[in-house]
Amino acid sequence: MTVFLRILLVVGMACGVFTPIGGAVASDAKPLNIVFVNPGKTGEVYWDMVAQTMQAAALELDAHVEVLTSERNYRIMQELGLGVLARSDKPDFLILSNEEAAAVPVLEAAEAAGVKTLLLSNTLIGEDAARLGPPRQKLKTWLGDITTDLQTAGVRMANALIRTARAEKWQSPDGKIHILGIGGDEITPASIARNAGLKLAADAASDVVVDRMLFANWTQSEAEQVTTNYLSWASRKGIRPAGVWAGNDPMALGAIKAISTAGLVPGQDIQVVGLNWSEDALRAIKAGRLLLTDGGHFLLGGWSIVLLRDYADGCDFAATSPHVEVKTSAITRANLASVSDLIRTRAFERIDFTRFRARAGRCGQYDFSINALISSLAPLEGTAD
Amino acid sequence: MRNGDDMSNPDRKAAPSRSRSVVRAMIWATVPVLLVVQLLASAGVEVSSFWSQIKQLDARIARVAESRAELIAEPLWKMRYDQVTSVLNEIMHDETIAAAAVYDDTGVAIARVVARPADQAVSEVSRPIGYRNGNIAVEAGRIVIAYSYATVYADTGSQLMLLLVVGLLATLATVVAMRISANIFIGRPLAAITSAIQRSKQDGRAYPADIKSSNEFGQLAQAFNAMQHTTSGALDRLGHMASHDPLTGLPNRRSLSEHLVTLSHDAGSPDSLIAFCFIDLDDFKGINDTFGHDSGDKFLVHISERLRAAVEPQDWVARLGGDEFVVIRPEVSNEATAQAFARQLLDAISEPIRLHDKQVVPRASIGLAVRRAGDPELSHLPALADIALYHAKSKAPGTVAVLDEALQRDYRRRRDLELAIPAGFTEGQFEVWYQSQVDLESQAVVGLEALIRWRHPEHGIIGPGEFLPLIERSGNNARLTRYVLTDACRALQRLMAAGKPQIRIAINLPPSELADHSFAAELRATCARFDVAPSSLELEITEGSLINNIASASETLHRLRRLGATIALDDFGTGYSSLAHLRRFPLDKVKIDKAFISEIPGSAEDKAIVGVIASLAGTLGLTLVAEGIEQAEQAEAMREMGVMLGQGFHYHRPQPLDAVLQWLETQAAPESRVLADSPSIAPEFA
Repeated sequence: MTVFLRILLVVGMACGVFTPIGGAVASDAKPLNIVFVNPGKTGEVYWDMVAQTMQAAALELDAHVEVLTSERNYRIMQELGLGVLARSDKPDFLILSNEEAAAVPVLEAAEAAGVKTLLLSNTLIGEDAARLGPPRQKLKTWLGDITTDLQTAGVRMANALIRTARAEKWQSPDGKIHILGIGGDEITPASIARNAGLKLAADAASDVVVDRMLFANWTQSEAEQVTTNYLSWASRKGIRPAGVWAGNDPMALGAIKAISTAGLVPGQDIQVVGLNWSEDALRAIKAGRLLLTDGGHFLLGGWSIVLLRDYADGCDFAATSPHVEVKTSAITRANLASVSDLIRTRAFERIDFTRFRARAGRCGQYDFSINALISSLAPLEGTAD
Repeated sequence: MRNGDDMSNPDRKAAPSRSRSVVRAMIWATVPVLLVVQLLASAGVEVSSFWSQIKQLDARIARVAESRAELIAEPLWKMRYDQVTSVLNEIMHDETIAAAAVYDDTGVAIARVVARPADQAVSEVSRPIGYRNGNIAVEAGRIVIAYSYATVYADTGSQLMLLLVVGLLATLATVVAMRISANIFIGRPLAAITSAIQRSKQDGRAYPADIKSSNEFGQLAQAFNAMQHTTSGALDRLGHMASHDPLTGLPNRRSLSEHLVTLSHDAGSPDSLIAFCFIDLDDFKGINDTFGHDSGDKFLVHISERLRAAVEPQDWVARLGGDEFVVIRPEVSNEATAQAFARQLLDAISEPIRLHDKQVVPRASIGLAVRRAGDPELSHLPALADIALYHAKSKAPGTVAVLDEALQRDYRRRRDLELAIPAGFTEGQFEVWYQSQVDLESQAVVGLEALIRWRHPEHGIIGPGEFLPLIERSGNNARLTRYVLTDACRALQRLMAAGKPQIRIAINLPPSELADHSFAAELRATCARFDVAPSSLELEITEGSLINNIASASETLHRLRRLGATIALDDFGTGYSSLAHLRRFPLDKVKIDKAFISEIPGSAEDKAIVGVIASLAGTLGLTLVAEGIEQAEQAEAMREMGVMLGQGFHYHRPQPLDAVLQWLETQAAPESRVLADSPSIAPEFA
């Protein structure tokens, strides 16, 4: 993987050399110096892909992104952030993710150091949000945040399940459609949002019951365990389970495994939905075992560079809102073919990020939809090996 | 310490039964109650503690169930069954919990853990597992915990054991403490008092109880000691009074026996001689009668003072009562010295005393006994000396008689006879012999004198002179007289049968009978019984019996005379020989004492006296009888002097009736001198 990353880096740098020459938007000065403190672990697909799209975008948008990995340790994350701020050669922007609400001290330190910050994926919540207020007020250097609308994703996933179940008439003897929800955890805003989406959808449908909202710590094995438990319980209760709503792909795959073990055929007797656009999920969709996988939010990395490029060039996204919320999209068997290669190969340089920059006079208004994405993709040939 | 030992030793012998029983009774009375109360109380406490422990355990397990239910609710609802199991496992550290299980809302056991087989009393608690979040509140299942009371039972058991042991130990300690304190506070003072009483009982002195405490026993002891003190004084006085003569202050008869016991112990050697003087004042009765009892007492005090003055310090003087004194000299060299000492005492007594301005010369007799200190019969000294005294009094008043073998032999014989009197009567050992009275002129037998003899199985025939005083002393006079009277009446019958109704029989009447008014009536009755005339009977009396009781004697004599009996005055001439008596009493005969006869015909004086008596009798119309005629010359002399009748061996010795009757048969024929073959041991008794 590192070898692969290095290759990517070399390719990206090569592209950067060429962009100013052939680029539509020329930067007047030096390239943007951006540091991203990655909260995830090396090898953690989502955060790796965030960093990769970030760097792919940087190549195209005359920026330099330094990625520091905190290996899922919020202390390391804070140390890394504070270390960057203590440098003599400070970066132009610091991208942080407020995982476990650990970004706040770094945010405040950046204010003192005069380094502009952008929160990615996880913004301020709860008390911190109330105390520090909206971006650029108390913390002048906090430019804003870019997040995904995961609640809508949750709703979309649930509705897909409900539609299928209704169509297949998978109601239980009580006439209700019984669904199992599997969440990653109960405290992360990203998790809470998608779970809320499930609840919204279920509440809206009077014929739908979410029997349980189970939590599997984002992992496949735990999801498999709780699904097994659920199926056994449901059979004792005389319930016909119609679908499993999983907060991410690994948990959806765990559920699929448990369903198979229980003697049911996923996709035929029961539907499963996931989220993350992971490769395994795409394969499961292809195999007809997974109904859909929502996601695409790893693209936040690329989109954040777009925002900062526009900001640096004077088109401040805050003109619309300092909070930029990006909708996710579902990959189903219908659109699987268009994006599966992109994801499988991670050739994010195929994406023409320049096409996503804000139009003049419409600062802060972006179209990051999957359709826009698909149309921005360069053909496969000649782009990568 | 020694005192303490002395105090406690007698306790152990005398007191323990009492003090122990008091203490034991106290212990028996209190300890079972104490034990029962203690056991009941501790059992009650333990039972209540047991129930509260059970309740606590129930409550605790319920709390455990509830808290576990809370913990388990989420993993159960969220189907994290591994977590459910691990949470459930945690509670198994509680050793009272035997098993636990969690059931979901379908009733299926999600988790089940068993700690140990439930072989003992097991209780179960079941609690619902409620799950709630912001949106829902559901019952996700149940938790059931099975737990055992074994630990409570074990705890309670060991507690009970502990309480039992503690209770027993406490009771034991109480018993020991009670024993000790009862011994100290009750037993010891009681023992001290008992010991004092015991010692007081032993030697008659009043001992105080040695108690120093100020409690009730101390007060009791004080009261007791005060009483002892009072008793002590009284006992001392009583003791002195008991052992001393109040009049003279001399030791009394009681002291004598005590003193005798110590005599042999105090003696230097068993061979040293002890002189025992038994002193009896002669005619003290006379002094009392003459001068009055106060003077008699004064007289006795004088005598005692003299005796005291006459003896040495080692000598011992006592008054036995009345006019009897004892002086003991614990050591004399020989009998002669003892005798000298006794005489010395007599001399001291015999100094004249002035009573009511009259000079009185006291006289006394002394019986002296000398014995070795080692003599086992030392305690008999008073009796031995009394024998000697008896001898002195009877033989030689105003002298000292020394006890010797002969005296003792006499004494023993006397004693034997005295004891044999009742047997003598019952076995008919007393026999009446008869001696004839002869008409000196015609030589015809005119009468017989009944004379009593004792045919003793060991001593043979005993004369009346020896045994009559014994009869009199033993109070058998009347019995003997009736015996003789009866025999005489029977003899009269036989005389009549033998064709000699003219022969009369004389019996001797002792002074006591003379005083008895009923005798005359009895004589008449007896005569009537045997169908003999009272006129055939002659009653012989002595002057002495007349003097002592003149009035009643006269009365009796008159009655007898009226019956027809004749009265003879016996032994005339030896006693008062009062001519007035001859005149005053209704006498028929006078018997001249043989003392006047025996010297006749040799003694002219006796002849003269008999002559005078004969002429006097002749004048008064009294028949004269001469006693003790042993020779024909004497008979002749009497006849010549005008004595009508004679009696004596010259004619006839006293013989049993059969022999007499036989002899009378021969008398009818030629004059023959058949002498009875009986021994002449006793003179005729008058």
